Amino acid sequence: MDVELIINGEEKTASIPPETTLLKLLREEFYLTGAKTGCDVGDCGACTVLVDGEAVNSCLMLAGQLQGRSVETIEGLANLEDFHPLQKNFEDLGSLQCGFCGPGMILSAKQLLEENPEPTKQEIQDAIAGNLCRCTGYTKIVEAVADAAKEMREEP
Amino acid sequence: MVDKVKVKERESTLEELREVNDDLRLPSVPEKVSFPIDVVTPEARTQTPAVGQRASRPDGRMHGLGQTKYIDDMSFPGMIYAKIKRAGVAKARIKKIDLSEAEKMPGVMATLIGSEIPVNSFGPSYQDQPIIADKLIYHAGDPVAAVAATTEQLAADALEKIKIEYEQLEPIFDPIEAMKESAPEVHPGQGNIYSSKIIQKGDVDKGFKDSYRTYENTFSTQMVEHVPMEPHASIAEWDANGRVIIHSSLGRITLGRADIARTLDMPINRIRVVATVVGGNFGGKNEITTEPILALLSRKTGRPVKGIYTREDEFMSSTTRHPFIMDYKTGVSEEGKIISRKVRLVCDGGAYCSWSETTLGKACILSAGPYNIENLYVEAYAVYTNKTMTGAMRGFGAPQVCFAYESHMDDIARDLDIDPLQIRRINAFHEGSASPTGQVLQSVVVKDSLDVAADRFGWEEWQK
Amino acid sequence: MRPFEFIKPDSEASAIELLGKLSPNVRILAGGTDYLVDLKHTADVPKTVMDISRLPELKGIDEVDDGLRIGAGVTHTEIMQNPLIKKYAPAMIHAAHTIGAVQTRNLGTIGGNLVTCVPSMDSGPTLVALDAEVNIVGKDGTRRISLTDLFVGPRKTSLKSNELLTEIIIPKRSLGKPANFYKFGLRKGQALALVNAASSLWIKGGCFKDLRISIGAVAPVVIRCLKAEKYLEGKKIDEKLVKEAGNIAVTEAKPIDDFRASQSYRNDLIAVLVTRTINAAIDLADKD
Repeated sequence: MDVELIINGEEKTASIPPETTLLKLLREEFYLTGAKTGCDVGDCGACTVLVDGEAVNSCLMLAGQLQGRSVETIEGLANLEDFHPLQKNFEDLGSLQCGFCGPGMILSAKQLLEENPEPTKQEIQDAIAGNLCRCTGYTKIVEAVADAAKEMREEP
Repeated sequence: MVDKVKVKERESTLEELREVNDDLRLPSVPEKVSFPIDVVTPEARTQTPAVGQRASRPDGRMHGLGQTKYIDDMSFPGMIYAKIKRAGVAKARIKKIDLSEAEKMPGVMATLIGSEIPVNSFGPSYQDQPIIADKLIYHAGDPVAAVAATTEQLAADALEKIKIEYEQLEPIFDPIEAMKESAPEVHPGQGNIYSSKIIQKGDVDKGFKDSYRTYENTFSTQMVEHVPMEPHASIAEWDANGRVIIHSSLGRITLGRADIARTLDMPINRIRVVATVVGGNFGGKNEITTEPILALLSRKTGRPVKGIYTREDEFMSSTTRHPFIMDYKTGVSEEGKIISRKVRLVCDGGAYCSWSETTLGKACILSAGPYNIENLYVEAYAVYTNKTMTGAMRGFGAPQVCFAYESHMDDIARDLDIDPLQIRRINAFHEGSASPTGQVLQSVVVKDSLDVAADRFGWEEWQK
Repeated sequence: MRPFEFIKPDSEASAIELLGKLSPNVRILAGGTDYLVDLKHTADVPKTVMDISRLPELKGIDEVDDGLRIGAGVTHTEIMQNPLIKKYAPAMIHAAHTIGAVQTRNLGTIGGNLVTCVPSMDSGPTLVALDAEVNIVGKDGTRRISLTDLFVGPRKTSLKSNELLTEIIIPKRSLGKPANFYKFGLRKGQALALVNAASSLWIKGGCFKDLRISIGAVAPVVIRCLKAEKYLEGKKIDEKLVKEAGNIAVTEAKPIDDFRASQSYRNDLIAVLVTRTINAAIDLADKD
C-alpha cells in the first residue's frame, strides 16, 4: 500500500506492506534511524516521535494510520545554523550517556515545552514518564529540560 | 535495506510497463539530516581544570541529534536477518531437531544447530555454556537453533516451523536444594556446587562465646536483569578470504574476539571485531552471545547477517545479577563492637558459571562489611540451577552482601539501642586496618565520610 | 508482524458496513496501544485490520439531551484537556492521567480501553461509578447498554463481532456528581493497576445518597461493590462507616495472586482505596 505523509516538513510517499509500523517505515524506508527499537511494545519510549505535534510510540502505529499526517523525528530538530535548545542543553549537561533513550526523550520534552513553556519539575517528570533511561538517571535529563525551557523563554 | 517481500507479482499492462516514472530516476539517498556546520565545543569540554566542573561527553551531541549509529542502525548490501529459537523448557535432552519445514519456507536462507559449531562451548571461567544447545537443555532460554532469512519476520516465522522433540528431565530451581547430594545435577557428572571459597580469621566459635549477645538472620536478594535500552546486537560478515568481520554491541571486544576465535576454531587474526557505541551495558554485554552463530550463518549464505535480540530474548537468555542467599551470625559486645561474625553465602548461578567465580570472590571479601572484625569465618558457594544464567553486573556481588550486612547492623543497633551511625563508627575500618583477607588498607576515610554525610544529611535532626 | 490487509473507512457508516461484510475476519484498530502489541506476538493474525482511530463521528465530547457524550475514539489526552469533562466529570481526568504515559495517552482511546476489557483498565471504575452507558452500533441499528453489561470477562465483552462501540454516555443525573478515582500501581508511570477504585456520591441531609463504588484489577472485570454501597446508602456520614465499607468491598472482590502482588496485599489495597475514594468524594460534595 502507498502512504503519503509529511516527515520533518517534507512531503514523502512510501510503498510498504500494511503490517509496517511507523517505526519500521522511518528506519527502513527513510533511513531515519534516530527513533530506536527498544522494546517494540510501547513501554520504553525509545521510538518516540511526534505525530501532528503529539509524542507517540512509533512502534505502536501502523504506517497506514499516518496517511496525510505530519511526523517529526529527532533528525528534524536542528538546522544548519543551530541546534534545538533541548539538544544543546542535553549535550552541555551530560544528560545522555549511552544515548539510546535520547532521541525519544528529547521529543517527549519538545511536546511538553510546546504546550507548557514553564513546566515544573513534576510536570517534566510526568512528560518523560514514558521514556526509560538506564544509564544517566533522570536528574540530569530533568535539569536539561528545565534549562532548555528557560532558554526558550528568554530567546524565543 | 528495504525490508520487503513481494507477496504477489502484480499484473501489469504493457502501457503501464512502458510508462516511465521519473521519480524512479531520483537517486535513493538517505534523508537529509541537518546540524550546524560550524561546530562549537561546549564550555564544559574546554574548561581547565576539569575537577569540580560539570562533565560533558564528546558523543553527547551525536546522541542528541539522533546521529549515533548503534548496531541496529547499520546495514550492509545484501544483509539478511537471524533469529534464535529458544528451548522453552528448563531441562531436557534433545531427541530430534527437524528443520525441514523451516528450510522450505520462502525467504529462509540458512539454518544452524549446535552440532555445526566447531567448538560449541564458551565462558570466561569455565567453558560450560553451549553457543547453541545440542544435546542437553540447561535452562529455558538456551538457543536450540538459528535461522537466517531475508526479513526479520520471515526468520521469526521460520522458528515456529522448527520441530524439536525433547525428553523432559527433572529441573532444579532452588539453590539450597541444588546443594544437596541427592539433587539432580544441572551439568551431569559435575556436581552443582561449582565454586566455593572460605575466608578464616581468628576463632569465630570462641568469639561467639565471648560475645555479650549474638544475632542471626538470613537475607536474600533477587535476580536482576540489566535491561539495557539497546538489546544485544551484532552483524557478521564472512569474506572470501575466510575472515569474518563482526560489528557488535559487545563491551569487551578483545575478550569476545578470543571467545569467537575459540568457538569458530579459527586463528584470532582472522576475526575482526568492530565495536560501536553501546546502548547500555552494565556488565550484561561483556560476553559473546550470538556472534559465532551469525558468523556461521554468514559463511553459509555469503551475506552479512544481522541479529538483534528481542526484549524477550534479553530477559530469557542474557545474563542477570546473581541472586544470593546470605546467612549472617554476629556476636557483639555490650557497646556494639563486633567480636565475631560468621557468614554463609549461596550464590544462585543459574545454568552457567559465566562470571560467578569473580562475583563470589568479591562478595566473599566484602561480606564482612567495612568493619574491623577479629574473628571471621566466611564460606561461599556458587551453585548451578536450571535458571537463566547470572553474570557480570555492576558491583559483582558487592550490592548483595552490602544489603545483608548493613541490614544486619541496623537490626543489631536497634536491639542494643545504639544509634545506627554510632555502631558503624565503633566498628568501621581505620587507617591501617586489615581487610578480611589481610590486605592493609591505606587512605581509609570511612569514619570521616560517615560524619560528613551524617552532617549534610541532617542525621541528628532526622533522628528526633 | 504477520501480513494482513489494512483498511481505513472514512465514516462511521462505512465502517459499520465493512464490519458487517468482513466480520469475523476483521479486527478493529483504534489507538492500538494494546492491539498492536497483540498483533506482534500472535500467530493468529486477522485477514483485515480496520483503522477507526480518525473517524470524525467517534471524536468529540459534547453535551447532549441525556447527558454527556464522549466519542469512543477520544484519546486519553483529549479527555484530560477537555473543558466539559473538567466541569462535569473531573475524576475522569484523574483516571486518564494514570494511564501509561504521555505517548500511550496520546494514542490510546477511551473506547479502546473499555472494549479491550482488561480487568485493570483505568477508564472503567470512574465510568461505572458514574452509571455510564455505551452506544453500540451494528448493521441492525443502535443499542444502548449499561457499561457494566459490556464487561463479560477478562478481554471479553458483550460486543458482537460485527458491532462497534461508538459512544459513551454519562447520564445527566451523574453530571457534576462528586466522584474520585485512585489507582495503585508499582510505579507512577507505565504501570498496571494492582487495584484501582472510584466512588461517586451525593450528600443529602448529611446522609449518603446514590453512592456508587467501583473497583478494578481485582475481579475478572471491573465491578461495582453493591454490598458496600448498600451498607452506606442513606446512612449519616461517618468515618468509621466509610472504613467498614472498605472492608465490605474486600469481600466482593476476588483478586489474583501473581508476581505483581499477593492476594492479601491487593485485599488490603482495596479497603484503603475504597475508603479513600469515598472520603475524597465526600470532600468534594456539598454538605447540605
